[in-house]
Formats: sequence, structure tokens, C-alpha cells
Amino acid sequence: MASPPFRTTLTRVLVIQVITLALLWLLQSRYAS
Amino acid sequence: MHWINWAIVGVYLVYVVGDGLRRARGTTNIEGYFLANRNLPWWAVGLSVMATQLSAITLIGTTGQGATDGLRFVQFYFGLPIAMVILGVTLVPFLHGAKIYTAYEFLERRFDAKTRSLTSLLFLLSRGMSCGTIVAAPAVVFSAIFGWDIVWSVALIGVPTVTYTVIGGVQAVTWADVKQMVVIVGALVAIVVVLLFRLPVPLDDALRIAGSAGRLRVFDFSFNLTETYTFWSGIIGGTFLMLSYFGTDQSQVQRYLTAKSVDQARSSLLMSAYWKIPLQALILLVGVLVFLFYHFQAPPLLYNPAHERQLRAADPGAYVALEERYRAAVTEREEFALATSSFRAQGRGPAVDEAALGAYRDREAAVTAIRGEALGAVERVTGQASRDVNFIMPRFVLDHLPLGMAGLFLAAVLAAAMSSIAAELNSLSTATVVDFYKRWARPTGTDAHYLKVSKLATACWGIFACVVATQAATLGSLIEVVNRFGSFFYGSILGVFILAMIGRAKPVGAFLGLIAGMGTVAAVSYFYPQVAFLWHNVIGAVTVVSVGMVLSLPRSPESPAAA
Repeated sequence: MASPPFRTTLTRVLVIQVITLALLWLLQSRYAS
Repeated sequence: MHWINWAIVGVYLVYVVGDGLRRARGTTNIEGYFLANRNLPWWAVGLSVMATQLSAITLIGTTGQGATDGLRFVQFYFGLPIAMVILGVTLVPFLHGAKIYTAYEFLERRFDAKTRSLTSLLFLLSRGMSCGTIVAAPAVVFSAIFGWDIVWSVALIGVPTVTYTVIGGVQAVTWADVKQMVVIVGALVAIVVVLLFRLPVPLDDALRIAGSAGRLRVFDFSFNLTETYTFWSGIIGGTFLMLSYFGTDQSQVQRYLTAKSVDQARSSLLMSAYWKIPLQALILLVGVLVFLFYHFQAPPLLYNPAHERQLRAADPGAYVALEERYRAAVTEREEFALATSSFRAQGRGPAVDEAALGAYRDREAAVTAIRGEALGAVERVTGQASRDVNFIMPRFVLDHLPLGMAGLFLAAVLAAAMSSIAAELNSLSTATVVDFYKRWARPTGTDAHYLKVSKLATACWGIFACVVATQAATLGSLIEVVNRFGSFFYGSILGVFILAMIGRAKPVGAFLGLIAGMGTVAAVSYFYPQVAFLWHNVIGAVTVVSVGMVLSLPRSPESPAAA
């Protein structure tokens, strides 16, 4: 299996981090305020 | 534990060791033994990188931390994706392209032999001892839970790991890591599902209870150098720590040196960037769900059964009284937790809901206070820190999970321990043979000879780690000193690698900069002990680069001609 191009991987990394942090933020603001 | 659970553990161990031995076939030279002939696919290397970082203490200690402290520890990993991206465009092409065996070898090519030897020696010192700690941490828990002598617990973890690492080399280590990651993630997901089904209140209400008890607070934006886990320490200190760990620590560098190409090495690192924060959040969330589970199921006063026995034996009357108070407080907490849910279901309004949560918080504080008394008593009686947090998850698994799942969890803990230990033994052996034996003792020799020496070195480091682990109780303070010492130079070594990528930096700057960096961190640690350890990496790296560049100025004692 060939590795995906670096820029594609980088974009995916950013998207996953943004989604994860947004979910954690939602969890905190809804339940831990 | 039921025999079916032990059978699952047995099948796992036989499979991992058997497959490791199978992978050993065809390894006839040290490039195959240490670097798999630089031919492994990126996804296998990526899983190996993640498995190496995820140790047994992550599974048992971090879940416990989630139960007692909530999700905020996840901030520690905020710098990881940033570090992976930086390494992908900077150090990885240098290291992979240099066709080296160890990261420190690169420093000799760029600077000189003494800088290489010093950094490699520091790696051997700190990793050698930390490998013992990685074996000891789960072994101590197994011994307390199953009542075994520590030697047997260490043997259960150490013997299969050392066997497949010695015989199979990096091929066995990497492919075992792949399977181990599958076991670990599978076990975690299965436990989350079981916990969700066991909650007697709707998930939304359960999360409100956890949030009310402070377990869902993730972000702390205060800029406080004395607070270990904040957004800023994670982003800044964490980035430097992860740059040091993934960019300069042989146990990690060796993983991606086995990849087929620079692109594949980058992609393997970025796999961690994808999944580390979600995985760590999942691990902490398991702890939060266990915390909630014990609201509706009687929790033990102490999760460590050995400490429970010791405390009971020391003063039976006082222990029974404390336990009775705890039972009463736990029952009351359960009633108030259920009330928060039933008031919401009845739609009594936000004011009533808030008042119910406030009342619940008081009961939760009472339970925590009584447990605090018990933990204090343990420390007085045993003369040691209680570390009860490491026993929350194992105790929950053994007491409450359905048949077979305890075996799966134990296999996952063993997998986490074995993957980290195997990678460390493999890298310790590589640094010993390549940076010292081949460099200084015997520069010329046949591949067969070096392969034999490499296997011998792996076995010796394995035995050393197991011996250190069996003596963990008596060596406790020594291990702590070594770990502390390790934190002095982690950021400093990163500084040397940064200098290596700056064209104007000279050998004298690198060597003296490294010493200045370690000295500065040691001084900060001594005079300002309140500064959280994540910042040590920043201080070390910045000092090395600053001192190194000043000493590399054209008028410095070592002229370009001399270099």
C-alpha cells in the first residue's frame, strides 16, 4: 500500500485534530460549565 | 480469574511469540535485524510508533487518572500533531536519507565522535533504567491483584518479550506491535460498550453528573508555569517534548528508519498525529465511565487489595469504621446522583436541576474526602505513596466485566507493556552495538559476528530490565533519580539535533551547548522545583541552540579551518 501524498496526509491530520478538539470543547461546554 | 480468561491470555502470548520467531527467518545481517532492511510498509511502522509510546501504565494508570482527575490530561498530547508535522518536514528526511542505524550516528557525521558518544550514552542510561520501570509498573499491579511474587509477574511480561525481541529483531518487534495495537484498541472499545450498557441512567444525565464532578473539564487556558497540564504547557512544552521523543530518541527513530522511503517514514509518523489525541481521549473517557459506573455499584474503599489487607491488619477497628463511613457516603452519593436524573426526567426546571447537581457535588466531595483519609493511612502504614489510581481499572475489570473480557484486557495490558519494552530493548541493543561496540571496540567484523553480538546485547538489556523491575521497590528512589536526570537532557538533545540542521553550527558549539543545556535544566529543576517538567524541554532546547550558536560564531575558538 503506497503512502498518501504528504499534503493530503497533512490536511487529514488537521481535519481530525480540529474535529477532536471541537468535540472535546462541546463536551466541556455542555457538561462541565 | 476464570480459566477462560487465562486461556485468552495464553493464546495471545503463544501467538505473539510464535509469530515473532517465524519473522526471524531470513535475518542474516544487522541491517535486517535492526532495520528490517529498510523495507517495512508505512502503516505497520506507524502502528509500531504508536504501540511503542503506549505502555501498560497508559492502560492502567491513565484510565485511573481519567476516573479520579477527568479528561484534562489529554492536553499533554496537544503538541504531538504539531511535533509530527515539524519532524516530517525537518528531521525525518535528514535521518532517513543519511542511511544510518542510530540517530546519534548522524551527529558524528555532522559534528564529531564525542557528541555522538555522549548523546548515545545518555540514551542508554535513561532508557536502560526506564525499560526496567516499564516492566515494573504492570508487574507490581499484577502482583498485588493476583497475590504473586514480583518475580513471577516480571517473568510473565519479560520472558516472552525478551524471547521474540532477541530472536526476531525489529521485524518481530514491528509485526508484534501491529497485532498488539489491534488487541489494545479492541479491548478499549469493548470496555466502553460494556460500560455504556451498564449505566442505569441515560448517557446525557450520566455525563452531566461526570461534568458536575469536574471529570469532563478538558481545557485549562491559564498560563501557569507551575501547573503541569494546561493548554499552553501541552502546546508549547508538549511540542518540544514530542519533538525530542520522536525526533531524537532511538526507541522511536529506529521505528521509522525501517520504512521503505522518506515519504513512508513521514506517513508513519503522521499516523500518530492522526490518532494519538482521539485515542488518549478514549482512554481517559474509559476512566470517566468507570468513575460513573462506581456511582451505581459499590466501589472498594481501596482498589489495591494488598494495601487493603495491610491497612486492615494494622488497625482492624479503625479500618472497619472508615469503611462504614465510606459505605454510607457512597450510598448517599448514589441516591443524589439518581435524583439528578429523575428530576430532569420529571421536568422540574433548570433551578431544581442545578440544586440537585449542587447537592450531588457535596456528596461526591464527602466520598473523595473519606478516600483521601484511607490513602493517607496507607502511606503512613506502608511508608510508600499509595498509587491506588493504578488499581482502579484492573479491579473494575476483574470484578465486573463479563467472562472473557478480563482476559482480553489483561492481554491488552501485556500487549501495551510488551510493545514498549520490545522497542526499547531493540533500540538499546542497536545503540550499544552500533555506537559503541562497532564504533570503538571492533570497527571491522563479519555480519554474522555483529548479528551474534546484537542478539547478545538485546538479551543482556532484557535481563537487566527484568532485574531492575524485580528490585523496583528497593530501587524506587534510584529509578526516580535516573528519570529526573533523564528530564534534564531530553530537551537538550533536541537542541543538538536542531543545531545539526543549522549550517553554521560547529562541533564545539554542539558539545558545550549540550552540557550548558543540561546544566541549565538541572539548575532550574533545583532552584525552581515548582516549574512543571514539560517546560524543562523548552528551556533545555533553547539553551543548547543559543549557547551552541554563540560558540559557533566565526570568532569562536574553533575556526572553520580547524573544524
